[in-house]
Amino acid sequence: MTETITTALFYIFAASAVLLAFALVLTRRILRAAVWLMGVLFCSAAFYVLLGAEFLAGIQVLVYIGGIVVLLVFAIMLTSSFELLDDHPSALRRILGILTAGGFFAVTALALLSTKFPVKAYHGEAISDVEKIGKSLLNYGPGGYVLPFEVISVLLLAALIGGIVVARKVLVKDPEAKS
Amino acid sequence: MNELMTLTPGLYHWLLLTLLLFSVGLYGLLTRRNAVGVLLSTELMLNSAALNFVIFNRYMAPGFVDGSIMAIFIIAVAAAEVVVAMAIFVALLKLKKTADVTLMNELRG
Repeated sequence: MTETITTALFYIFAASAVLLAFALVLTRRILRAAVWLMGVLFCSAAFYVLLGAEFLAGIQVLVYIGGIVVLLVFAIMLTSSFELLDDHPSALRRILGILTAGGFFAVTALALLSTKFPVKAYHGEAISDVEKIGKSLLNYGPGGYVLPFEVISVLLLAALIGGIVVARKVLVKDPEAKS
Repeated sequence: MNELMTLTPGLYHWLLLTLLLFSVGLYGLLTRRNAVGVLLSTELMLNSAALNFVIFNRYMAPGFVDGSIMAIFIIAVAAAEVVVAMAIFVALLKLKKTADVTLMNELRG
């Protein structure tokens, strides 16, 4: 019974994720695309729950939907006074895009389906056990992730400073600011 | 191939789903002219890549958390990328008055 519900939920969320993704790339209005992206990310949070990674689902909603998409909406609103509203690609661009994306899909799907993965039996182990994640993020022994953890902290700091510097540089160059 | 015949979602179902999402994102990346639209498609691709890590974690190494940690790192990198990209777009808009990526063809403005 639980399996039937899980299967049904998988197909429902898969269908809505794919539909929202198509809407994201096909819509002309960029703000609507941001809303569709929010929907896709929400479906992905549902996928994380279905895969047994509840902690990641929470992270997904908090950081991706609450942080990144809101930032993107800010970016869109800050820039929408310029010619941003309609975005229709030419027919050549569209055909080349379909060829590339379709070709990528076909080649990768063939490679996937001709590969035999060593699938292990799943007995309901939590794959995002918060305690385990915390311990391996601060584990400096073999198989630990303390160095990547520190590197990602420095990367976030660098991105923060870089964002301020890049956005500020033009203000200094602005002739009105000098006079 | 036989794994795909069953209705219950298995490894191949999940992988095909994320592959489809990634391909749609690739199409958007190639066809969008608006810089923010390109960024949105990139987010879609990053998200399906993070999902792939968790799928392989679930089906090939249950009991370990390495795939989840990779997904967390991908989300952190995506956040950093959006911050920098947004700053660049705002600077470019002030400088060139456009967000069309096809018009941004010089490194030295």
